[in-house]
Amino acid sequence: MDPQTTSVLLIEDNPGDADLMRLRLVEGHSSVKVRCVQRLSDALSALSREQPSLVLLDLNLPDSRGAETFRKVLEKAPNVPVVVISGQDDEALAIKAVNQGVQDYLIKGDITSKHLERTIRYAVERQALLRSIEMAQKQRLEFKNQFLSHISHELRTPLTCIHQYATLLSDGLAGPVSPDQADHLKTILKSVNQLHAMIRDLLEATRAESGKMRVEPRCIAIGDLIQQAIAMMTPTAQEKHIGLEAGVDKRIPLVYADPDRILEVLINLIDNSIKFTPQEGSVVVRACMTETDAGFVYCSVSDTGRGISPEAKMLIFERLYQDPDAVDNNRSGLGLGLFICREIVRLHEGKIWVTSEPGHGSTFTFTLPVYSLPKLLSPVVIWQNRLRPAFVLVRVQLKPVTNPPQGNWRDLWQQCLDTLRHCVYLDKDLVLPPLGSPGPDETFFVVACTDMQRSEIMITRIREQLGKIAGLHGKGTLAVSAAPIELPRAEPGGSFPGESLDEQVERLAARIAEMIVGNMEKQKSAARSNGKPRQSVIHKGDVQ
Amino acid sequence: MTKPKILVVDDDPDLLRAMRLRLRANNCEIATAADGYSAIATAQKERPDLIILDLGLPAGDGFAVLERLQNNNQLAGIPVIVLSARDPQGNEERALKAGASMFFQKPVDNEELMNVIRVTLPQWHPAVVPLPS
Repeated sequence: MDPQTTSVLLIEDNPGDADLMRLRLVEGHSSVKVRCVQRLSDALSALSREQPSLVLLDLNLPDSRGAETFRKVLEKAPNVPVVVISGQDDEALAIKAVNQGVQDYLIKGDITSKHLERTIRYAVERQALLRSIEMAQKQRLEFKNQFLSHISHELRTPLTCIHQYATLLSDGLAGPVSPDQADHLKTILKSVNQLHAMIRDLLEATRAESGKMRVEPRCIAIGDLIQQAIAMMTPTAQEKHIGLEAGVDKRIPLVYADPDRILEVLINLIDNSIKFTPQEGSVVVRACMTETDAGFVYCSVSDTGRGISPEAKMLIFERLYQDPDAVDNNRSGLGLGLFICREIVRLHEGKIWVTSEPGHGSTFTFTLPVYSLPKLLSPVVIWQNRLRPAFVLVRVQLKPVTNPPQGNWRDLWQQCLDTLRHCVYLDKDLVLPPLGSPGPDETFFVVACTDMQRSEIMITRIREQLGKIAGLHGKGTLAVSAAPIELPRAEPGGSFPGESLDEQVERLAARIAEMIVGNMEKQKSAARSNGKPRQSVIHKGDVQ
Repeated sequence: MTKPKILVVDDDPDLLRAMRLRLRANNCEIATAADGYSAIATAQKERPDLIILDLGLPAGDGFAVLERLQNNNQLAGIPVIVLSARDPQGNEERALKAGASMFFQKPVDNEELMNVIRVTLPQWHPAVVPLPS
């Protein structure tokens, strides 16, 4: 097409209005090519074949009316400028359209050819400008990410050297070390670790910003994670003579969260609290439920530090925020820690906030969703408003070949889990979130909405696909087994008269939970009777 | 096996020297190579029990080295530990798929590295000079 030609797709169902518009278009614009359709469906298929320079759109068509019309056109051709043709009486709708991405509007009966020509020209130019801004932004973000990933690599290389030689010295491999020298080397290594952590945060924040951060939620006991975080942070707290303790409600339900990521959040918050709390102060980590928000567990880290000003509270979770009053702290980091915490919590669909009384301390609170098996099951086990007729529980057990397990089982098992998800039907089967923190032995459970006979096909597929991975590295063994989930049945489908669908799903969930717990107990006692007190299954309450 | 032989491949001579000192102190024999090409040549000549491999290398990067090792019948069985400053995201999976048995990001904790070597070479009796606990 000649680049000077403007091609207009006119979407107008009234033949009189369409002719008039065509006339105005040709009058003002010698090189305009008009194509006219009367229905939205025709317009959408025309747009998928060829993108015009501009769309002129009447909002009320035989097969679509009002806001729906422009939304569908914008969705179909996001890069084509759209000008809405509005009646005298619905200018408000036209303005709404402009607010939602339409370039401009014209009012019927008030259109001159000059006016029309100018509207078209500006709409096309504005759209082109918007696109180039968007492209530039995208490129800038991409460039920034590449740049950060590149520097972090370049910074790590000399850092590795400093680390290696400092440890050679401190390990006495280059001759005896005096107590003073050992102390200085310790300081060097501490700084190396700080620098290393900063580089890691920089990459992590970049990942969060570009939407590449990933969480793998499991079914976990938050109390165990809190204990683990406290154990890791106790030396730092003791160094500053700060008390560090947990207050976890015993009846707290299991949560649906990524244990590694949440541990990172807890450690970050505890570390911050210790930093801003004077000697002899205290830090308390709590987990509790609230009456108003039953779907979430509330975790909090409270300190007796100097608190946070109301202005700082607004900004504290933003990227690169530094507390301007933090004079007592010469190593404040990059200001990415809380930003990363917020992003991790967000990916869990939780919230994070801070309350504080300046001079008396602060409390950082975040929420995590309660693990609910019925909620996970519902989309899969219900079909056409009824519970599906049969269910099978498939157990997939992975074990490392060597004991102690060699190296990378963590990533290997993750790879297996990803593959397992490809072995099932997403609408008919559910890979249950694994239990507890990842361990060298993993057991995954799949709820398959099928009968025993048909589940064989799935099991064969799982064996083949996972066998390939486990065999590839020669590091794992795989066992797959299946059992039907028998529900006490009063009626076909295992339902009881008068029982609601929600109640049926809950009963199914309870039965599945019972089977899983029973299964794990059996494995545990089998491991015990083998005389090897080897931890065979990671269950609720165990944290590695 | 009394003294295992470890081939360390890295283009940073300072790091090679540090690794040599540390591994020697742990009762290992060391061979080194500074690029992808000589990595294969040295592996063929020295027949190491284990290879510690960087990814960013001149003359054939670490992935190319892994591929060539896998395609060489005599060398395919040697376990390879990748030690790289690169981001594990993306690189780790790729390295494991290419035949590496471990991926460590630099800087690596020495004790952790020694543990992995111990597991990989079970017959090895480490540390003439004991590591401080």
